[in-house]
Order: sequence, then structure tokens, then C-alpha cells
Amino acid sequence: MKPFLYAALAGYLVAAIHTILAFVNKRRAVERVSVLALAFGFATHTAAIATDWITDGHYPLFHLHETISFLAWTLVIAYGLAVYRYRAQQALGVFTLPLVTGLVLLSHVMRGTAVGAPPERVLSGDAAWLFPVHTTLLFFAYASFFVAFAASVMYLWQERELKLKTFSAIFHRLPSLTTVDDIGTTAAGAGFTLLSLGIVTGIAWSSSRTGRAWHNDPIEIFALLTWVLYLALIHYRAQWRGRKAAWLGVAGFGLVLCTFLGAILMGGYHVFG
Amino acid sequence: MSIVLIGLNHKTAPIEVRERLAFTDDACAAGLRALVDGEVVREGLIVSTCNRVEVLTTAGNGREQEAAARVGSFLCESRSLPRESFTEYLYTHRDEAAVRHVFRVASSLDSMVVGEPQVLGQVRHAYTLAVDAGTAGRVLHRLVHHAFRVAKRVRTETGIASSAVSISFTAVELGRKIFGSLKGATVLVVGAGEMAELATKHLTSAGATHILVANRTERAARELAQRFGGEAVDYERLSSHLGAADIVICSTGAGEYIITPEMATRALEERRNRPAFFIDISVPRNVDPAVGELDNLFVFDVDDLEAVVASNVREREREAERAELIVESEVMQFQQVLRDLDLGPTVGALREKLHAIARDEMKRQRQRLGDLTPEQEQAVEALLLSTVNKISHPIINRLRRSYDTGEEDNVKAWRDIFQLEE
Repeated sequence: MKPFLYAALAGYLVAAIHTILAFVNKRRAVERVSVLALAFGFATHTAAIATDWITDGHYPLFHLHETISFLAWTLVIAYGLAVYRYRAQQALGVFTLPLVTGLVLLSHVMRGTAVGAPPERVLSGDAAWLFPVHTTLLFFAYASFFVAFAASVMYLWQERELKLKTFSAIFHRLPSLTTVDDIGTTAAGAGFTLLSLGIVTGIAWSSSRTGRAWHNDPIEIFALLTWVLYLALIHYRAQWRGRKAAWLGVAGFGLVLCTFLGAILMGGYHVFG
Repeated sequence: MSIVLIGLNHKTAPIEVRERLAFTDDACAAGLRALVDGEVVREGLIVSTCNRVEVLTTAGNGREQEAAARVGSFLCESRSLPRESFTEYLYTHRDEAAVRHVFRVASSLDSMVVGEPQVLGQVRHAYTLAVDAGTAGRVLHRLVHHAFRVAKRVRTETGIASSAVSISFTAVELGRKIFGSLKGATVLVVGAGEMAELATKHLTSAGATHILVANRTERAARELAQRFGGEAVDYERLSSHLGAADIVICSTGAGEYIITPEMATRALEERRNRPAFFIDISVPRNVDPAVGELDNLFVFDVDDLEAVVASNVREREREAERAELIVESEVMQFQQVLRDLDLGPTVGALREKLHAIARDEMKRQRQRLGDLTPEQEQAVEALLLSTVNKISHPIINRLRRSYDTGEEDNVKAWRDIFQLEE
């Protein structure tokens, strides 16, 4: 529904601006505005997605604009959880909220261009219920990986400055090394779990629909690479703690981006709409 | 009425002069009672710290010179010092400049280390003494409370006190940056020097709980450990304790590196790569610089810490510029407060006088009006008073404008016209 999406966009924009202000000026009062605006944005965004689902009759993760909007929605949830757990709202918000705002805006712009196959053709068959599960799990995985990526960047930035012993203004505004390392590890672990489940449900759905589990589709290859990378990251956590793990967090997110862009640019089995 | 501040501080006077002029609490109270006579010097307050001795007074109208002279001779007599021994170091600020100075002192902009928090407490203490001595009146009350407010604003709205400007605090701050919180952290102190002790003290008050001390002479190690409720460990087996420590402070007199990259690598393995922070405050250095190249290990030597301190000081100075703007706007605001304080009685007297005239006339003419209902009676009174107010309104405005532009003759003329007592 358009009015809801407009409201969400406004809420996110206000939240993003105030988080940046709070980050720059270290002001608590501004932070409160940001939290309220974000809550408002999230509520209206949820309403927008729900009404879309009801009026369009299919799970709102099909056309590109829906995908983007849904991605923004999962990012807000991942950000909310990270903030609730670690209280690193300003620094993390500076990464996340502008992106969320941008995605919602993009979704808005692309809304009119939604064309393509009627979802009913794809979303039929016995195991059709697996489609929402598959996609939702993966989107939450991507959102987790984004949080892990943001934490990794904050880690690398600070680690570098600590080693060089010269500190920028940003340094003093970031959460401690241990905190960002923690955020990165937790988010990567959560992302990995969700990714694994997402891949399994995807395989199950695909084999029930077409009888093939694997299509050599770019999205599948990148997803598998991502999965292997995060598996290594989690397995060697103790040895690679710190800088190396942070670089892997960045690389892993690079693969996630490839997965995403791969689907759009290279086509293949995973492009329905 | 005007505000006069006379004093000297660390910028204008050497320590020998400052210490001779300093007041103890008792001398302060007695001095204030002697200084304030209610005529020339109406109110008084003395701020006496190791960095400054300042006498803040309010003087009667047109008697600023006299008040300043009185403060000068008061300092001579009460401190039993010849006048020439300190007059060259004194500064005198009046009115706006005095207000600005008080605000800057309370906000720690005039301190040796800009942003240090003690000075506000010292001003508060000076104020308490003046209140107890009964020498703080309506102007000083407002001024000092306003100064407290300014100090609070400066503290919360600028980063003037946000970064550490001593080596040991810098170490604590870096520790927080690495570990988040120092609660429960383990600190290994190598060497039992004074600097190490100071740093350990700051670390424990920031939450570090386990203190290990290694020293060549065991007795000194045990003593230091005891002071922090920690434990002394064997200096010869230093490398076996390294892995347990989140923070290692080195300050021995050893001439060679006592922590080598091999030792540090082993310690990191033991710690499963959890980060560690090595503070090397010994000269020559005790920690091999190659140790600092290991991942998850952060080594800061004295030069590094001092460089951080220097950059923090520069940061404070930048913030101080923003603080000066706050002070400036507050000085302007306080001018308003002062004006109301000064002009308030005049304005009040003028209103009172005109109202009295109205009421008297009413009383005289009341009988001619005959019987009135209560509503009518109220209406007549309202009519009278509102007429009076409408007449006095432009006069009061004019008074305020004259006061603001410093045309005291004008204010005086209006007082004369209406025969108002001051």
C-alpha cells in the first residue's frame, strides 16, 4: 500500500538523519528521536508489506521491488536485534539506516515497473509453501551478513588506527574492539544458520517442483561459496579472531552482493519475475 | 551596582606569589567578613586554589574604583604582604569582563589543563564559604548559579573533558577501547615503579580486578600486590603468566627487551587470540617493538601514549573554542539578568507609585460615584489600573533601553521625575 510505504520512508529518513546527527555530535537526545522514528517506520513498513500480501495474493517476495523492500525490512529487524543486544545504535545505525532508507526509496521507484510472469505459474505444486520459507530465511541471512559486514568494517578501522596509533574523530565514536568483534561473530553465526536452512529448503522445494536439486545457477554457486566461507570462518574462529575474521566478514558480504547481483544480471533458474 | 573581580592565576603569577597569597578556609571566611562593608564592597567571594586567588565583589554605584582599592589593601593586610610583591601580577575585570571570567573559570576554560573537572568543585566550595560568611548577596547568588549552569552546558555540549590528557588515563581509555569494559580484567604489572602503580590504580578504579605483580626483587612485588589485593608472581617465570593477562604494564629498569615476540606469540596462543594490551612505560623499552606487529596485540610505549595525550589536548583546545561561544552567549544572557536585577526595583517602584496615585484618587472620588454594584466597582478599578499601566509601559521600555545603552543619566532623570528612592 502506497501511503504505508510513504510513511515508512519518512520514518526511516528521519531515523537515519538523527542517527547520523547523534553519531557526529554524541548527543543522546537526538538518539531518542531516531528510535521513535525508526519504530514508526518499521510499523508502517510492516503494514505496507502485509497489505501488499493481502491485496496481491502472493507472498511479497517475488518482484524486484518487493524483494528490495523486504530486504530493507529484514535489515531493520537485524539492526534492532543488534542494538537491543549490544547498545551500539549510533555506529551501527550510521551503516544500516541510510541503506534501509535508500532501499525503501528504490523499492518505491521500481514499483511501477513490476512486470513479468504471474507468480501463480511458479508458485504452484505441492511444495509451494516452501517458497516463502526459503526466501524469508535467506533474506534474514543476508541481513545478518550485512550486520557482520558493518561490524567487520568498524573492527578493521579501529584495529588499523590502534596499530598506527593515530586516531581520527570517528575512532572515538565507535564501540570497542571487543564489542564489534562480538557483534560480527554473533551476526555471522546467525547468518550462517539461516543460510544453511535457506539452502536446504531451497533444495527441497526445487526437487519437489522440477525433480532437480541443483541447477548450476549463478545464485546457487555464490550461495554455496558464501556458505563455505562462513563455515570456515566459524570453524577457525579462535585462530582467525580479530583482523582475519573481520576481513572474511567483508569478503563474505562481497559474495552475498554477488549472489544478489548475480541473480539480476546473469539470469538463470532463480529469476522468476 | 557593578561586579569587580581582582585576582591572579597560574598564567600571570609564579607559584611563589600564588602560595603566599592563598587563603585557607578559615582565613577566607574571616577575610570576607572584614572585606565586605555593605557600602563600598557589598558582596564578596574568594576563590583560592593552587592555581588562582581571586576576589569577586560587587560594588555600590560609581564606587568601583574604591572597591578595587579596598580589595588591594585587603589582600596586603590579610596576607601581611607588601603591596609591590604582588600588584604587578594582578588583573582586574569589571562587569561584563568579570562575568565572562567567572564563567570561564567555572567551565575550566581558564585552567592549566583545559577541561579538568576539579575547578568547578573549588568554585562551589568558595561559594559555600561566602554563603556561610554571609557575604554572598543577590548578585553573587545569581552570578555563581549561572556559572554552574554554564559549566554544565559546556561539559555536556562540548567534548572538552571527553578525552584523557594524562598518560595513565590514556592507558585506561585505550584499554576501554580494546576491551569495552575493564570489569574483571586481569592486569600483569612488571616492575614496581611509581608510574606502574599509578596506571594500575586507574585500571583498578576502572574495574580491573585481578592484579599480578612480577618484580626482580620479590619484596617490592609483594608490597605492590598487597596494595591492590593482587598476587605476586615469579619474575623468572614471567612468560607463563603472560597469557593470563589482558593488560600488561611494563616499567622495569631493565636494559633489554624482557618481552619478546616468541613470548607474546605463546601468550596469544594460550589466550586463544583474545586481544591483549601491552603498556610499556619503561625507558629503555621492555617490550620488543616486533611484538606490536602481532595480530590482536596492541603495544603502546611512552612515546605513543604521549602522542595520544598531545592529540587529546589539541582536541580539547578545539572543543574549548566551541565552549567559548557558549560562554559568550551566556554572558549576554546574564547581562539581561543583571539588568532586571538592577532595574527591577526602579521599575517596581515606578509601578507602585503610579498605582498608589490611582488608588488615592479613587478613594477621594469614590463617594461621588454613589452606590455601585460589585461588578461596576471592579470595572472602575480595572479602568484606572489599566490606564496607569498603559501610561507607564512606554516609560519602562524607555528605561530598559537607556539602561542597555548605558545612558545612566536618563535612568536617573526618570527616577528624579517620579521621585523614586533607589
